[in-house]
Amino acid sequence: MTEQKINQNTKSKETVLKMEHVTKRFGGLVAVSDFNLDLKDGELLGLIGPNGAGKTTIFNLITHVFPASEGKIEFLGRDITKLKTDKIIRLGIARTFQNIRLFGNMTVKENIMTAFHAHLKSDLFSAVAFLPNYQKEEEYIQTMTQELMMELGIEHLADYKSTSLPYGLQRKLEIARALATNPRLLLLDEPAAGMNPDETLELNELILKIRERFKLTIIVIEHDMKVIMNICERIVVLDHGVTIAEGTPEEIQRNPLVIKAYLGAGDEDA
Amino acid sequence: MKRSTRILLSILLILVVYIFVFFAEKYMDPFLKRILNTGFIYVILAVSLNLINGFTGQFSLGHAGFMAIGAYTSALLYMSPENKLSNFFMEPLISPLDQIQLPFFWAIIIGGLMAALMGFIVGAPTLRVRGDYLAIVTYGFSEIIRSLFNNLQNITNGPLGLKGLPTYTNLWWTVSWAVITIIVIRRIVDSSYGRALKAIRDDEVAAENLGINLFKHKVLAFVVGAFFAGVAGGLLGSLLMTIDPNSFSILFTYQIITIILLGGLGNITGSVIVGIGFAFLMEGLRFVEMPMNIFGITIPGILGMRMLIFSILLMITILFFRQGLFGTREFTWEGLVRLFTKRKVKQQ
Repeated sequence: MTEQKINQNTKSKETVLKMEHVTKRFGGLVAVSDFNLDLKDGELLGLIGPNGAGKTTIFNLITHVFPASEGKIEFLGRDITKLKTDKIIRLGIARTFQNIRLFGNMTVKENIMTAFHAHLKSDLFSAVAFLPNYQKEEEYIQTMTQELMMELGIEHLADYKSTSLPYGLQRKLEIARALATNPRLLLLDEPAAGMNPDETLELNELILKIRERFKLTIIVIEHDMKVIMNICERIVVLDHGVTIAEGTPEEIQRNPLVIKAYLGAGDEDA
Repeated sequence: MKRSTRILLSILLILVVYIFVFFAEKYMDPFLKRILNTGFIYVILAVSLNLINGFTGQFSLGHAGFMAIGAYTSALLYMSPENKLSNFFMEPLISPLDQIQLPFFWAIIIGGLMAALMGFIVGAPTLRVRGDYLAIVTYGFSEIIRSLFNNLQNITNGPLGLKGLPTYTNLWWTVSWAVITIIVIRRIVDSSYGRALKAIRDDEVAAENLGINLFKHKVLAFVVGAFFAGVAGGLLGSLLMTIDPNSFSILFTYQIITIILLGGLGNITGSVIVGIGFAFLMEGLRFVEMPMNIFGITIPGILGMRMLIFSILLMITILFFRQGLFGTREFTWEGLVRLFTKRKVKQQ
């Protein structure tokens, strides 16, 4: 397994995401301070840290939910620091949310179908008149949605209202929806939150599977160490917006700074 | 059910409607015809506002403003020059409007386009605000239009309004435009664009993070909605034969919002049924505004009592049928077939 990982890393050296000196200040609070990252194609990076360390803020900066105060973000060699969210997504970055954000009034199938809209080429007129070019695209969306649901094993839930699903499946649907935008880089924000151990195990497999199947580069934010330590090749640890460690799971587990950030903080609290 | 069967059935339904229109235009009582015409205009208004409020979730109160623009634009285009001359006795109508006369069809289309253009001009800066703020801004727009039209003496004839408009509006026009509105908006809603609009309604952040351009899609809903509001305004002007700026006040928007809330937000079938029903109720409830004798007590006629009844209806709906009278159930041919097959099973 480790051999495979190394092979993958050496084979493709293309940088997918590059963040240089990225800083985000909310008034006096420095949420992220001088964050640097060079993410290679096919990598699976874990982003960990105590609550409020700035992990989700980094995702929000990448997808430009709010602008960075300083620094530069490049995606596939293109500067995306100032691009708007929807444009960035269309370039090939997809994300899920810490608190699940599904379209509550839509079915599972419609949720996924919606995600194909960003790449729709037909204009409104051809959609209303149901012209052949739109017809073809709609058929493509239908079949791709079906395939995607099969791939994730949720095809039997197609016509259920998305919010009626149990928590674990809602997370899965959110991942399916993100995949439908055809991303190169997938940002998973605490995908295992609220899952039981069985579901977490299944999630691990799913993440590895979709990486292979869709040729993805993935960043995972997670509190569940069973996820992070088992599937990530590289881990970045944040604390109060500062990167305090970076390395393989083994290195991180042994790193005294990390232990202090996690356990030390806990001691102080107690 | 196959798509071709569905289309065939829809065409058949439209044919039946037109056969009805044919006989109605010939034999129906003019009073009843007038109510029906109003009903179909309500349908156009309700379905188009539903696209903005119900499907895209952008609470707009600007529909009366768009109607006013459509009504005035088309009226100034289809009125004859002599008619205009007799109307504008305070200040003459500016050139070249005083000489132009277009066929009714084109006048209506241009009225709709003008409203759509205003929809774009208003929508572009205001759709950055959400929820209550958007409601206030669009309401403000509607009021600005009203006071502008009250003061543009040499274009709109000010508060005097336009009188003696030719009555081109008949069931052929209103039904046709209602059918076009329903088909176009249903097609939008069922298409990939519709899914994007509904996604924006359900969760803007998630929609944006799926690569949907929020601004573009909101403006799109606004422009399409405004177009049909303009068309409805044009049709209404020619039906009532008179328009003045104050007939397009917030009260009118309020009526349409009542219709879409009663029919269910994001439910076209509901808007259609309630829209026509509303027109009949408005006439049917006229008696409550007349002087009455109840158990020997004489109550003088109070204007506006009808709206009071609608307000109560609306409150009951919101309290007990949160999703409107029809909920999220849309009319589909499959649904109709299911309804009948279910009955058959019961009979056996």
